[in-house]
Amino acid sequence: MAPGVGRSFTAASTLEEAMAARRQGAVVLAGGTWMMRDPQRGVDLPDAVVALDRIPALSKVEIDSDHVVIGAAVTHAVLGRALHGAAGFEGLVAAAENAANPGIRRVATVGGNICALDFAAADLAPALLVCEATVELETFEGPKLIGISDFLKDRHALLAEAIVTRIHLRRDLVASAHIRLPLRKAGDYPVAVVSLAVDKDKRCRIAVGSVEPVARRWTALEQAMRASQASALDPERAAGLALEHNDFQGRDGREAEGWYRRQVLPPLVKRGVAALLKTEGLAWL
Amino acid sequence: MVVTFQLNGEDCSFHGDPMTPLVDILRRERFLTGTKAVCREGFCGACTVHVDDEAVPSCLKPIGLVQGCAVTTIEGLSSGNQALHPLQANLEAADAVQCGMCCPGIVMSLSAFVRDNPHASRPEIKAAMVGNICRCTGYERIVDAVADCLDQARKAGQSVGGLHV
Repeated sequence: MAPGVGRSFTAASTLEEAMAARRQGAVVLAGGTWMMRDPQRGVDLPDAVVALDRIPALSKVEIDSDHVVIGAAVTHAVLGRALHGAAGFEGLVAAAENAANPGIRRVATVGGNICALDFAAADLAPALLVCEATVELETFEGPKLIGISDFLKDRHALLAEAIVTRIHLRRDLVASAHIRLPLRKAGDYPVAVVSLAVDKDKRCRIAVGSVEPVARRWTALEQAMRASQASALDPERAAGLALEHNDFQGRDGREAEGWYRRQVLPPLVKRGVAALLKTEGLAWL
Repeated sequence: MVVTFQLNGEDCSFHGDPMTPLVDILRRERFLTGTKAVCREGFCGACTVHVDDEAVPSCLKPIGLVQGCAVTTIEGLSSGNQALHPLQANLEAADAVQCGMCCPGIVMSLSAFVRDNPHASRPEIKAAMVGNICRCTGYERIVDAVADCLDQARKAGQSVGGLHV
């Protein structure tokens, strides 16, 4: 039989329909920008897929005074537009508006970005980590909420029996920034990504993407900045602390070797803190 | 699976693998070879088409996701018997077309951009075309052509593909 002949394709219009297809073994198709490259990598496309783009509830961004809910099928472009100008989400907006290139951003979804298991350079992952996002899953047993940090660590197992449906964000940030280092000015995967945020308790949150296989919070630096006698929100001071507390093991990849990804982190922290200080939320500092 | 959609304003249907990239259907079944399949990874932009008026890479668009959508290719933007799209006319006037491989994708990306961003600055024009790679590296003339196109439309109080500027 020729490849693709008899392939099952479910364009689900409800979550129940999507879960039924998942139970039958269908793989979730989001925007397609990751999965559709599989043949180029010598990987066969799945025999059965279920598309989520026709489920209305998964394609909207709901903005409340203290809460934001992002549907998993929302594209980067829509997310950037929806949150543009929302205080505290500058970093998430920058991540959505600068990932990949404009054409990809119109197609690639939030859910797809955080569910692509072997995509270390996902821009939204560190940006959502500093938002301390909660991921809502629909599992075979029902809905489930999990913190983004745990989701990213355990997603391989979690996604075997679940679909990511929504991302929940509290509006507890006063400012955030997202600094990425691509080899060209734009359009390719970043060598390293640093997301930073300051919450209402003036605590600084920092996350790093693309350096290790999975994005994570930089807790050693966060703690050092909290303990710092001098103002930790000084770019030079923050870069010094980043150099001192750099506990990353850089991954080797086509764009850059691991040592380089690790080494660029302090200057990116410096840029990030400088960007934070330019936000309206921190203008009082 | 049968997928039905509009292609350059006409009803169209496809019978086959729903994961077939849109670009392959355009080129192999509809012989619309203006859309180029180059990198097939969404990096080069040569396969850009409009799906429901948004410029997207057709290499990464499985036809199953195109059900009920309106697809416009470079051939649909202006047939050989009609006046060129204003952006195409400006690209020609600026002598911006070199080997021609990237141009259909650039026109499709930027025709949507000028429609939606009538007051775009030069840096914004450049940012809009980061997903379209020109190996002849003729970027500056392309940017000139887009800027001229917007400038002319503003002076004439006309639209570039839909929006009055």
